[in-house]
Amino acid sequence: MSVIEYDVIVIGAGVSGLTAGTLLAKHGLNVALVTTGEPTACLSTGCIDVCSVSENPLQAIVSLPQRHPYHLISIKNIRQSLRDFQQAMTDVGMPYEGSPENNRRVLSAIGTFKTTCLTPVTMQASPQNEDEKIHIITFAGLKDFYPGYIISRHKNASFSIYDAGVATTMGISANFENEAFLEAFMLWLEKQNIREDKIAFPAVLGLESASAIVKTIESRMECPVFEIPTIPPSMPGRRLFNHLKDHFRRHGGVIYWGWPVVGVEKSGRKIEAVIAESQGRPNSLNAKAFILATGSFVGGGLHANRDSIVEKVFHLPVFLPGKRETWFDHDYFSLSHGIGQAGVAVDSDFRPVDCPWDNVFACGAILAHTETLKNGCGHGFALATGQAAARSCLECIR
Amino acid sequence: MIKTDVIIIGGGATGCGIARDLALRGIPHCLIEKGDYAAGATGACHGLLHSGGRYVVSDAIAAKECYDENMILRRIGEKCVEPTGGLFVRLTGDSKIFRERFLRSCEEIGIPTEIMSSTKALELVPNLNPEMEEAIRVPDCSIDPFRLCMLNMRTSEIKGGLSFIRHKVTEIVKSHGRCIGIKATDMVSGEVKEIHGNIIVNASGAWTNLVAGLAGCEVPLTLSKGSLVITNHRLTDMVINRLRPPSDGDIIVPNEAVCLAGTTSLMVEDPDKISIRSEEVDIIIGEAGRMVPHFNQTRIIRAFSGVRPLLKSQKLDSREISRGFQIIDHQNGMYSIVGGKLTTFRLMAEKMVDTIMNAFNLKRACETAERPLDGQDELSGYPLSKRLSDMKNIVCECELVTRREVERIISQTGTRHVGDIQHRTRLGMGPCQGGFCTFRALGIMHDMDILTAEQSVQSLREFLQRRFRGIRGALWGDQLREEQLVEYIYLGILAMERNK
Repeated sequence: MSVIEYDVIVIGAGVSGLTAGTLLAKHGLNVALVTTGEPTACLSTGCIDVCSVSENPLQAIVSLPQRHPYHLISIKNIRQSLRDFQQAMTDVGMPYEGSPENNRRVLSAIGTFKTTCLTPVTMQASPQNEDEKIHIITFAGLKDFYPGYIISRHKNASFSIYDAGVATTMGISANFENEAFLEAFMLWLEKQNIREDKIAFPAVLGLESASAIVKTIESRMECPVFEIPTIPPSMPGRRLFNHLKDHFRRHGGVIYWGWPVVGVEKSGRKIEAVIAESQGRPNSLNAKAFILATGSFVGGGLHANRDSIVEKVFHLPVFLPGKRETWFDHDYFSLSHGIGQAGVAVDSDFRPVDCPWDNVFACGAILAHTETLKNGCGHGFALATGQAAARSCLECIR
Repeated sequence: MIKTDVIIIGGGATGCGIARDLALRGIPHCLIEKGDYAAGATGACHGLLHSGGRYVVSDAIAAKECYDENMILRRIGEKCVEPTGGLFVRLTGDSKIFRERFLRSCEEIGIPTEIMSSTKALELVPNLNPEMEEAIRVPDCSIDPFRLCMLNMRTSEIKGGLSFIRHKVTEIVKSHGRCIGIKATDMVSGEVKEIHGNIIVNASGAWTNLVAGLAGCEVPLTLSKGSLVITNHRLTDMVINRLRPPSDGDIIVPNEAVCLAGTTSLMVEDPDKISIRSEEVDIIIGEAGRMVPHFNQTRIIRAFSGVRPLLKSQKLDSREISRGFQIIDHQNGMYSIVGGKLTTFRLMAEKMVDTIMNAFNLKRACETAERPLDGQDELSGYPLSKRLSDMKNIVCECELVTRREVERIISQTGTRHVGDIQHRTRLGMGPCQGGFCTFRALGIMHDMDILTAEQSVQSLREFLQRRFRGIRGALWGDQLREEQLVEYIYLGILAMERNK
């Protein structure tokens, strides 16, 4: 078995894990991140939801129930994590718009408005009300995007269809990275005689250079252009992940990709190492501290049995929202399903409560009482808890 | 106003069977169903075409009826019956006395059996519990209840029979004490249709007493809730029964790509207010797992309940009530037909139509046992070659349904209901339970101008609630994980709300 030594190992490559890892790497620590593969961030809209229950996200956080883990972080630090994120994204060429004082609206693929805080620049021009005149461009055969759903709520919207030669989100996005394709598309678009004020696209405008592609179309068409996030696979989510990943690596972080953690080595009140498999071969990743950022059920950090919920890496105690019968309401749209409370409870240092080890920290969606959907606190919560857990970890090591 | 001879209330197997029989005997008729075909107990059963073995010890008459009907349906309904064969498995501790009575009763009735060692049984069904004592082979089959109803209705349609689905009977029209017609409300438009006929047949299953009540009649029933779970793949190619007196969770039936297991039996009051409890799910999985141990680790994709309308009885355990059927003449132009089983639906229809022919003083023999079901040639079936022929345009990845197939069903039936596409193509029947493909199917319906954009969104909303009722009882493990993703997509990414 190979043995590799680090200062800190982060488990999970989502927004919280990458954020925690980057902060530690910036402080000069030797950080490695181990992941089974793509995080759920790749399935997301790429928007940074901080807290969507009222107009002002920071005030909304204050009004959350007492046991919400957001209360473990000062507003100053939450603000700092958002500022650091915006700076990092500007540096890598994918700026994020918005401010932590104001939520904004993003048009969804079904014509509703999703409330969020920071949006990628490609969604900056997303309309803020149902009356704005928009023209939607869609692509022949794209099976997860139906402009009709949007037009049902936006009477001033119309659409045209372009045949991109391929019909998948990834395929069309890759085509947009090709200059000849973009030019042919622009020639077609210019002939469409679009009279509306804005042009909307499903989010397929390129892989990593989406902001530049949006700018090109805007200047040629002389009107604002924006992307509408699609159901997975979601390009804005993937771009967010790729940029955060590159950012982490630029600061010296190492990523073990496709290495599921299958065991731990412990000694007294410390975890000594996690055992991760690469192609079936075990590797011991030793470190002074460990940050658990494996996400909730979708991310794979939690697993529900018929009568219990387990945390998969360290088998930490998990807050259980009652018996299975109480996990889900009967109303699908309730947003208050008991299962939203499930997760790992942490103390003010982001150490799991009743954890037998002193050098384990947790952040992101795996935390108990988060209720991500109900509170609209997705990536914003991941950024803030990622930094907070990293800060505690830093103190622990020094 | 519409005039016909016979009005059938209820589009389950019994009602559809009656429509076919009337059609073949040349009697004009009109069928009214408040939901879709097979929406009640017919669609919420195992889909087991009984050999009779299940009832052979307790109810010889019902067992014999099952066996005879099994033989008939195999012959006339090739496209909706899969002749899987079945095994009655005896586990350690199961009564030997019951085994003897089982074998003796099968012989008396004429149900062919073959006693098998566990080794032989394991060769046939490798997933069986290797600790079993023995197995007895019987001629059980798997049957598709949706398809069965639709094929029966095809004959009615060919012969000019009328049918209105999504129409709820709200009134029975009477004149001089006789039932002369009904009023039915279109559940979509709210429009009311008045239909007059000489005879009304109440074949509304668990709702029989409610419908009879509209005519001032009573049909005392015991309503017995039976719950079932569906696995995400086929753990057995044969029907598996437990060799013991009927009890919870002792039947597993393969159907297309999945397996159904059940049932429980609990008395209920209101057929419109039933839901499955997690304890029932655990019992079914535990019991099914004793026959097929792999069941304990297999992903459950759906858990649901149906209601059996049983003849009222003093017996406290609803399992002891006869599964025989009865025709009740209300002496006012209305008949109710209750009890029975999916397996015996054709026989029930035959007896019902015999009664009607008598009342009309007409003589024409029943032909439903001899003639193959109409419309079987048109069924697409489940050949993979067909499902994979247009890989680029797959709408439902779980069940490999193409956009072309969805469009074909929409044009053919003119349906405005996504459920109709599901029953006809299996769209949305796989592990994600329509979480991804229904959004697409409704988008396609809008593209084809079948639904307005507003209606698509409303249908999607209703679908999500309906879907959730079916999967709520199966939420743990990977099914919970996928459900959280689907919830995240609709309520998070798409920001869907409860109402407009």
